[in-house]
Amino acid sequence: MLWDPEALDSLDDAAIGDVLQSWASFCDCTDALLCGRGDLSAGADLVPLVATLCGYGLCSLVQDHFLHSLEELFKSNAVLKFWKHFDAFSDASKLGTTDFQENWTEEVLSKSLEEICLEKHYQEKCLLMLVHALQSFDESITDEKMKIQDYRSSLTSKYQLMVSSILLTTVPMHFPGILRSYFKEKLEELSNMMAVGPEEDGCEFQFSNNRLGQPSQRPIGVGEMDIDTCYHGSTFAKNNTLVNNIGKVVCDLRNLGFTSMTEDAYASSILLLLKHKVHDLAGDDYRTPVLGSIKDWIQAVPLQFLHALLVYLGDSPAQDDESSGLKSPLASSPSYPGIEMPSEGLVRWQLRLEYFAYETLQDLRIGKLFEIIVDYPESSPAIEDLKQCLEYTGQHSKLVDSFISSLRYRLLTAGASTNDILHQYVSTIKALRTIDPTGVFLEAVGEPIRDYLRGRKDTIKCIVTMLTDGSGGNSTGAGNSGDSLLEELNRDAENQESADYDDDTNLDDKQAWINAERWEPDPVEADPSKGSRNRRKIDILGMIVGIIGSKDQLVNEYRVMLAEKLLNKSDYDIDSEIRTLELLKIHFGEGSMQKCEIMLNDLIDSKRTNANIKASILQPPAPGSEQEETCLSLDHLDSTIISSNFWPTIQAESLNIPTAVEQLLSDYARRFHEIKTPRKLLWKKNLGTVKLELQFEDTSMQFTVSPMHAVIIMQFQEQTSWTSKNLAASIGVPIDTLNKRINFWISKGVLAESVGSDSDNHIFTIVSDMVDPNKTGINNTRCEGILAMDEECERSVASVEEQLRKEMTVYEKFIVGMLTNFGSMTLDRIHNTLKMFCVAEPSYDKSLQQLQNFLSGLISEEKLEMREGLYILKK
Amino acid sequence: MKVKILKWHAVASWTWDAQDETCGICRMAFDGCCPDCKFPGDDCPLIWGACNHAFHLHCILKWVNSQTPQPHCPMCRREWQFKA
Repeated sequence: MLWDPEALDSLDDAAIGDVLQSWASFCDCTDALLCGRGDLSAGADLVPLVATLCGYGLCSLVQDHFLHSLEELFKSNAVLKFWKHFDAFSDASKLGTTDFQENWTEEVLSKSLEEICLEKHYQEKCLLMLVHALQSFDESITDEKMKIQDYRSSLTSKYQLMVSSILLTTVPMHFPGILRSYFKEKLEELSNMMAVGPEEDGCEFQFSNNRLGQPSQRPIGVGEMDIDTCYHGSTFAKNNTLVNNIGKVVCDLRNLGFTSMTEDAYASSILLLLKHKVHDLAGDDYRTPVLGSIKDWIQAVPLQFLHALLVYLGDSPAQDDESSGLKSPLASSPSYPGIEMPSEGLVRWQLRLEYFAYETLQDLRIGKLFEIIVDYPESSPAIEDLKQCLEYTGQHSKLVDSFISSLRYRLLTAGASTNDILHQYVSTIKALRTIDPTGVFLEAVGEPIRDYLRGRKDTIKCIVTMLTDGSGGNSTGAGNSGDSLLEELNRDAENQESADYDDDTNLDDKQAWINAERWEPDPVEADPSKGSRNRRKIDILGMIVGIIGSKDQLVNEYRVMLAEKLLNKSDYDIDSEIRTLELLKIHFGEGSMQKCEIMLNDLIDSKRTNANIKASILQPPAPGSEQEETCLSLDHLDSTIISSNFWPTIQAESLNIPTAVEQLLSDYARRFHEIKTPRKLLWKKNLGTVKLELQFEDTSMQFTVSPMHAVIIMQFQEQTSWTSKNLAASIGVPIDTLNKRINFWISKGVLAESVGSDSDNHIFTIVSDMVDPNKTGINNTRCEGILAMDEECERSVASVEEQLRKEMTVYEKFIVGMLTNFGSMTLDRIHNTLKMFCVAEPSYDKSLQQLQNFLSGLISEEKLEMREGLYILKK
Repeated sequence: MKVKILKWHAVASWTWDAQDETCGICRMAFDGCCPDCKFPGDDCPLIWGACNHAFHLHCILKWVNSQTPQPHCPMCRREWQFKA
């Protein structure tokens, strides 16, 4: 059918007339046919005209003209009308009111689609007439059946292309929005339907899907326009009218060339629905795993919907699968209820939806990770979910970034107590250990916390408290994560045993080979500067100690704390301390805990010695009844005997003990000397605890107090009123110490304070008639006594800082000397010089940090000055 | 008012009543223990020689056993004899 100029030359006038006449009547006939509104009778005339024109080789012209007229008509008739339907929507959205009547979109959409499809259908029929005409011409001149098919497919595809290009060029802005809202509505309806009766509805749903599957096994693209006539209303069960309707709409849209737009629209609305669902299910509840139910939901609603839709659209299951070979990812998953073999499209959809669900859930959880970790042990299901999500999406770095920023914002602030930070740190370690066993991300997250904690003064103290508190069965602080640290110690102990086994050098070659084979590279996110996984074993205690820097500091702090605890014990019950110490020994090594062990041993020895001394009183001096009232016997005295060299520095205060007690003490010491010759006892009179009873005329009260308090109150036996100066002199303590301590009795209402003649010299008087509130409080006083004692912060053991300070004062001379010689020095230089020269007793063994602390102490005492990082002597 | 002591739990430290601070052999404190011992006190006692010099028992025994035929006190070189 090429245009052939030679052919034109060969035509004579008659032929030209014939052509012109046929062409004119062909045009008329075409118009008549197309505008005939369902009247296809004109089509019959078409055959001879087409034959004539084709006879002259004008076949392509005929086709072009016909298509052109179709296009014009379609454009003027159908398209304009079609878009007009949606004008209301655009008006509404301009005004900002999107609330139509419920089924507005559905009605309009299906109605308009039906209309335009009808139009298109009619035009296609006209096209078929032309095809028929061309075909019959071809048949008349040749026997080649091949060409017939040619006409039909080429013309229809041309027509299809034309339709979609017209529509796509004229599509108004708001049309995708309409589609989305339509699908959203429908899907919500569907999901509600599933939610109401998932059992019955689901079953029927699936059942009809099965039936649907059978007739749909025909290749796509051959007769798309026939689909609705084929299936429409034939196979759908009543319950499935919804999917049916949607399918029809999708089908129509596809028919008009909106395939990708439609797909976008329902994809986005499915994803939106899924997102809502995830948010709905996950919410703020971290105590239940949700991933499973989300997956179920994906199976139950969107996948079923998509399956029905794909089947409806003629995407055949089963068949595709064998050719595509895409069995791998989900071939093993048998979970397609009611669908024997998933089609490739469905598998893709499932992967897509699941990925989206994972990502949504992950984002949700990461956003709330801080809260999740706050209630960690309870929220472990959420952590588990998050782990699975991250395994799937691999967006760990997102977690790290977001978590670090929320840490900085919420935890690492001046308002948070060190204890809280430590607890959160421990929970973080535990939670992230679940998510990522390699510890790469934990490392990144832990860094800011560690840095921050290093800047806090009470970190060590808090850690030691966490380590030791809650030990023993009688811990009162339930839910305190101190327990968990102790547990961690325990677990660590178990691990240690197995680790020892692992480190065994006698590994045979086979085992070594297995280990080597098990090697895996670090995750890509790992920071290469941080060493390999082997060194990155996640060990909570190790990480906690890592905050402090060295275990020595921790051990030292523990020793001070232990000393404090042991000295305030009035019984010799140290079971829990022994247990804690054993655990600590496993972790920190026997050597560093040696002193603590001696301290505990002292307590055990004291108990024995105490018993021995008591036993040495062969016969208690005949207990006269009146004697027992006044005199104290050795039965009333217990003692803790310590090896002072191994205890932290103990603060000694002089104290004049009442003679009765003094005698008792020396008697006790004498007996000790007898038993343990040539050892002697040196009393630390200000230490220990005294349990005493105050006897008033009508009432009595019991207290457990320190010896100092006891001595103070005993002074009031002989004399009901003391001035502070006299009292201090009589007890043998400085006056300010007395004033501090005596507050305890004042707060108990036992003593009353009044200002005497001299403003410094207060008068304390015994309160003879105890006021009511104390009477009622009698029961409580016993326990309060100890509390009050602690509150007063009266420490029997020098704190670590004080100790350090004492040790460092030795070097003060050196430092001052150095600075006099050199003028100014940096911290490093002072440190190195001290290391170099102070090798003799006591050799310099402090850390840079400790030196810095000491130097800043000197600065605050105005002995030194610091300028631009240089230390200078203050003149 | 009267004060009745129900229990007095006192704290004391023990000391070997040696005149010196540290053992002349190991240079460790008398109230501590010799380098071989873990616990001070009963486990690592002191011993006095006839010359009145005190040492950790373990320290002086090692010394005495290494000195043949006649051990001397490491401090005063007098013949070593345990104080009765």
